[in-house]
Amino acid sequence: MAIRFPSTDYFNSLKKLMEADQARFRRLGFIDTTFGVSVTHNETSRDFVLTFEVFELKEVREVEKIDIAQVDFVIAGDAAVWRDMLENIRRNGEADAQHDLNTLAHFGEALKVSYAEPEGHDKLYRFMESIQEFFDLTSQIEVGF
Amino acid sequence: MGYLATTNFFEDREFVDKWLYTIRTGELDLSWMKAGTEKVRPHVENPRRGLIYRDINLGSYGVEAIPEKVRLNRSFAPRGAEIPEGVPDAQPWVSRKSELWAHNTDGYYEEAVTRQWNATTDIPWDRLEGVELPEAAGKALSQLMTFLTEVEMIATDTPATWLPRLNPDFIEVKAFIAAQVMDEARHTEVFRKRALTTGFGLMKASPMNEMALKHLRDADSFSEMSVALHLVAEGNVLTLFRFSEYLSPTDVDKKIFRLVMQDEARHVGYGMQHFKWVLEHFPQKREILHGHLDEAENISFAGGAATELTESFIVLAGGGLKRENIEKGVRITTAFQLKQMQEHFERLEKCGMPERSSVDRSKLWAMFEMGKAAAAEAGIRF
Ligand SMILES: [Fe+2]
Ligand SMILES: [Fe+2]
Repeated sequence: MAIRFPSTDYFNSLKKLMEADQARFRRLGFIDTTFGVSVTHNETSRDFVLTFEVFELKEVREVEKIDIAQVDFVIAGDAAVWRDMLENIRRNGEADAQHDLNTLAHFGEALKVSYAEPEGHDKLYRFMESIQEFFDLTSQIEVGF
Repeated sequence: MGYLATTNFFEDREFVDKWLYTIRTGELDLSWMKAGTEKVRPHVENPRRGLIYRDINLGSYGVEAIPEKVRLNRSFAPRGAEIPEGVPDAQPWVSRKSELWAHNTDGYYEEAVTRQWNATTDIPWDRLEGVELPEAAGKALSQLMTFLTEVEMIATDTPATWLPRLNPDFIEVKAFIAAQVMDEARHTEVFRKRALTTGFGLMKASPMNEMALKHLRDADSFSEMSVALHLVAEGNVLTLFRFSEYLSPTDVDKKIFRLVMQDEARHVGYGMQHFKWVLEHFPQKREILHGHLDEAENISFAGGAATELTESFIVLAGGGLKRENIEKGVRITTAFQLKQMQEHFERLEKCGMPERSSVDRSKLWAMFEMGKAAAAEAGIRF
């Protein structure tokens, strides 16, 4: 059955896959960051806070609104952009050169990265490959939108 | 200190006799068993993570035990060991904590260790089989890789040069710097491999870039080296990697840039934490650092505009040599240069040096303002 995006169910299924693929994520190393994901549809947004610790996603919460001071950074974008990214991952097994996070967020046109502190912002880049491979796990699930 | 060994032990009768005596009698000295050191019981805080430096940060072994001015340990003695008479004076250059300390240095080191990757086996090089880039893009990519190989070689040498100069009490900083050296060696490797796999060979060394790189190696103090290397140069390189990832023609290049970006962001992280620390704990150093930043900003402005970098970047960003390609390339490259400057001042401000964001204090800020105005006129967003 398809898991709807965005939802805590979606992130929790990636969490399970991440745990099941320990060899891969241990190889990528410690990931210690808390960040926000915001998905906008028709002017309203659904906001999530993801906390990664050691090698795993420790917890994901849906929140009313992301407090930027409480997270390292926020990746925000229109539901259509997220959908395009996830469908690309599903088709390709992983994000292709036009659909990886850094490319989509680069000029803030597709996805937008915001942050309160430069150190928080730098964490996106410190853990970039782990975060990318976390989203790439979407290739292993059915997603509905 | 005498010549290398303080004694010619082969001709020291007493020393040789003692050696033979021990063999004959098995009689031991055992004075080391009475070392007047602290007994502690470290505890693994998080079994998932393992026994980290922070778990053994205890009592006389901990970082809080390091005084601002380390006067007692000038040898190779590990922090917390009993230091007897007779250890050599290793003549460390940096024995003042605030000259190199940074909050979370041990954390950056542990992260570096677990996030090591392998340029030979973690990059899907086989996917490049049969990939033929158009001549202009291929040469531009190779020129960028040639430039980056040049950069990473000095990024390896510079921290390595400082390693033996740091007092052994600063174990965590030495460990972090050693890990950085390994990171930079891998960056040199991955860029060299990518340059040669373009099929165009290496391109041209850059005099402007090399002048810029040389100043990193030649700083007068660790703090000055760190602000120039970790904050200015690597801050710029981090932005460069993000843009390069964005512009990468293949998913192999994307993967390379994502992996180097992770290491670079860690180096910048240490640099920011150190800069904060030195400004807070050694306020007399502030003006010296301003002076060094004047030089570092001048040099990075020039180095960032090196023909071999900007032109290859313009061609890559624009996707070729036609007029419309060049126009597009110039826009993206200008955005990149302004982003570098913006993030540089953002970091300085965050570290406690907001006064550089002013034309009176920084010539680079004046250039940034000028560049922003020109970009706005040309409709370039960054
Ligand atoms: Fe590097
Ligand atoms: Fe670096």
